[in-house]
Amino acid sequence: MIRYERIAQHLDWGVVTTTCALVVIGLMSVYSSTSASGPSIFLRQLTWVCMGCVFLVAAFAVDYRNLMYSAWPFYALVLLGLVLVFVIGREISGARRWIELGPMRMQPSEIVKIFVIVWLAYWSEKNRHIVAYRFRDLLFPVSVVALPVILILLQPDLGTAGIVSFIACAMFIMMGIRRSTLLALSGMVLAGLPAAWFALKDYQKTRILTFLDPSRDPQGSGYHAIQSKIAVGSGGLLGKGFLHGTQTQLNFLPEHHTDFIFSVVAEEWGFAGSILLITLYLILITKIIDIGLKAKDRFGALICFGIASYFTFHVFINISMAVGIFPVVGVPLPFVSYGGTFMLINLVCIGLVLNVAWRRFIF
Amino acid sequence: MEPNIANPHLEEDLKKRSRYLLGFVIVLLGILALRLLYMQIIRGQYYEELSKNNRIRILPVLAPRGRILDRNGVVLADNRPALNVVVLPEDVTDVARTARRLAPLVDKDAKAIEQAVIKGKTRPYDPVAVARDVDFEQVAKVEMEMFRLPGVSIEAVPEREYLFGDLACHVIGYIGEVSKARLEEMRGMDYSPGDLVGKNGIEAYCEAALRGTKGRRVVEVDATGRLSSVLEEVAPVPGRDVRLTLDADLHAVARHSLGDRAGAVVAMVPDTGEVLVMESTPGYEPSIFAGTLSPTQWREIMNDPLHPLENRALRGAYPPGSVYKVVVSLAAFKAGILNPDARVYCPGFYSMGRVSFGCWRREGHGYVDFVRALTESCDVYFYNLGRALGVDAIAEVATQLGLGRKTGVLYNEASGVIPTRAWKRKRFGQPWHPGESVIHAIGQGFTAVTPIQVAKAMSAVLNGGYVLKPRIVADEPRIVERDLAIPRMQVEIIKRGLWGVVSDPRGTAHSIWDKDVPMGGKTGTAQVARGYTSKLPDEADIPYRYRDHAWFFGFSPIERPEIVVVAMVEHGGHGGAVAAPIVRDVIKGYYLIKGSRHDQVRADSPTP
Repeated sequence: MIRYERIAQHLDWGVVTTTCALVVIGLMSVYSSTSASGPSIFLRQLTWVCMGCVFLVAAFAVDYRNLMYSAWPFYALVLLGLVLVFVIGREISGARRWIELGPMRMQPSEIVKIFVIVWLAYWSEKNRHIVAYRFRDLLFPVSVVALPVILILLQPDLGTAGIVSFIACAMFIMMGIRRSTLLALSGMVLAGLPAAWFALKDYQKTRILTFLDPSRDPQGSGYHAIQSKIAVGSGGLLGKGFLHGTQTQLNFLPEHHTDFIFSVVAEEWGFAGSILLITLYLILITKIIDIGLKAKDRFGALICFGIASYFTFHVFINISMAVGIFPVVGVPLPFVSYGGTFMLINLVCIGLVLNVAWRRFIF
Repeated sequence: MEPNIANPHLEEDLKKRSRYLLGFVIVLLGILALRLLYMQIIRGQYYEELSKNNRIRILPVLAPRGRILDRNGVVLADNRPALNVVVLPEDVTDVARTARRLAPLVDKDAKAIEQAVIKGKTRPYDPVAVARDVDFEQVAKVEMEMFRLPGVSIEAVPEREYLFGDLACHVIGYIGEVSKARLEEMRGMDYSPGDLVGKNGIEAYCEAALRGTKGRRVVEVDATGRLSSVLEEVAPVPGRDVRLTLDADLHAVARHSLGDRAGAVVAMVPDTGEVLVMESTPGYEPSIFAGTLSPTQWREIMNDPLHPLENRALRGAYPPGSVYKVVVSLAAFKAGILNPDARVYCPGFYSMGRVSFGCWRREGHGYVDFVRALTESCDVYFYNLGRALGVDAIAEVATQLGLGRKTGVLYNEASGVIPTRAWKRKRFGQPWHPGESVIHAIGQGFTAVTPIQVAKAMSAVLNGGYVLKPRIVADEPRIVERDLAIPRMQVEIIKRGLWGVVSDPRGTAHSIWDKDVPMGGKTGTAQVARGYTSKLPDEADIPYRYRDHAWFFGFSPIERPEIVVVAMVEHGGHGGAVAAPIVRDVIKGYYLIKGSRHDQVRADSPTP
């Protein structure tokens, strides 16, 4: 009995309730955006949420410090998954991203995000003595992270590769980089951008150009951007009501249950609904950072900071895309967008955060 | 234990940096909140207007497709302005009623129109063409009824036009509405449902160049979807012209000579691999595929027993018959077992154990050397070579020459078969019978090659061993796939035998002899049903589908060949009688055209 009481007492209920609220909003939006074609997608998403809860409990139950021992095996597993994508992966619209596991499809590149967080946290814990990382200290961890990123770029999946790099950058900065090194590195990245442009595929260039001038190819990627903006803007203060978003119900917006789910929320629930959603994210991320601060070791702290930055990047890029201040890159909205692997990873992250919070006491 | 106090072991700097992280998060989410405030509250009215009326339409403007030209710049495929009746699914109030009213005006089926519009509902702002290339009378009728047909409009588009009708239709190919599978494949590119894409021939092979880039028109429309003003216009970038290596005039000669028989003619420049002619008969009218093909028309084409859609030059794989003897000769030279001066006695048959293989000349050729064996196409001579070489040695040379392999000149090619022992074991699970090597040596049995492969292989023999990738697009470079380095002596003696085929009174194609046309060649007759035909005395009694395929390959001039021509007539009968005259006509035409061009150039050049 004592055990259950302790769980109830020390569980971070703030995180639990905000997560539940986000998941419910997500399920409602997926239902609304796909109700025209029957409930099958909604039911599939519901199944993923239930499975995700099981994973969440698993990620919570075992002391997170055990993850330190599995940082390297985890690396091997991630690399294996990414290589398997090339060997037996399913090709969907020109990119290999999924592998089939029985009736399910897994997207190993999603798992890379959580790997990068755990591995860098482990590395930071192991090298506690480094106060400010210099160039030579960064070389090894950067290469470890770069390998899976390159494999993702080859799929090609620019969005995920970008997010993983952002998360890694955020974590390195949290780990502490010497000021001069940080300045030099930023300079190098800025100088390298033009070169990266030439490495992009034509359709990726088109997307970025379309973003800079949305009417460039309105029937293609610009079409999404324009229709999404109309959907969001026409939501007004209170929205058109659940199941009454004309833009989404009338199918102006393809893929609105995945990458453009925010347009559904914003159109049906208006400014009030969108601000509520953003506030929920803000509460959740703030709580996660707070838990990181109270963690008993660097490992736990950095896991929380990593997860916080992971959610931040996803939320910011996804919503920016829907409101037309960022190119269309296929980055889903945490807890809300349709997508199995992504939902699992999101809930596992919450499990880890609760884990760190619960085991924050040294004794 | 103090539950809610930060862990004192955590370094101070980590705490400081976490505050930066928090600040960063607040800034990013704040940007989003401000953006939403601007879009949903300040500009909400504007977007609501847009979503209610959907007054802004972005219409694609099709790019004119590039033209297809022959080697001399003669236009084979061009565009002409045409009018389409299009429907914007979003603006249609009652699909069934609109379809019922529109159908009689454009001579279409109401159900078909209804289905097309419903299908278009997934992208309600993409116009759906329900009738392509309508005439002015129909346009007038639709215009008059327009007020009762919301969402219907007339659109001017470039329509594909094939200026020579069915001439070279298989090479040029045709365009048609993009398929769903292909659309999925090309996602992220400038393709949308209903677009016309190259489906076959050059239209498909050079799709990327021919296509161009779509333009667009941003227009404002009134409540019924009628255009009220153009807000912005971006002109399309027209597709690039594609120049071919084909000679349209020579093509016409080949087509005329083939007449209404089913067959193929390929003419190639042996030193460069340029294809001058690739004709296949019967042909079809390529422009019918760009419009909406009626089911009757489609059935007619599909049920035609002569399969007019098939490009026989690329996809017609048949046993090469005695044309293959050239390949066997080369293999025998390579194996070092052929002395051209040694003579073989041909009694009219060849015995192997209890089995006997007949020569085509039942009474026999008597003593024949290599040159005579080629000239008179003595089967017994080559039975001997085949037996001695074995199938694998012949197959090796044949494969090196490009036989039994796709040439890559265009898409949708057949590869054919060059059998080997391993192939037969894999295919039939049976060992190779020595008798089959004998048959193989005269190009019968499992062997199946296409006319383009024969032209490629024979070009390689004549040019001294450069196996060239045949090419039909003028800017493709000359690609040497392999250099077999055939000794000059071997090439010369083979040419001597081939020259005799036409020039020698005993040659199998002497009937086409023309002293003004210096040419050599080799006849081939591919047996279709061996036992059956031999029982019937008169060729005319044999049902069409059991008749032999007639082959002839010819080249000219003898010394340094400028042109190689391969003719194949399906179920045509004997190669010398049926296919050889076609090759002669093409070669004669080649000189005639060359002469007249030469004269023209001289006449055009200014006198000093």
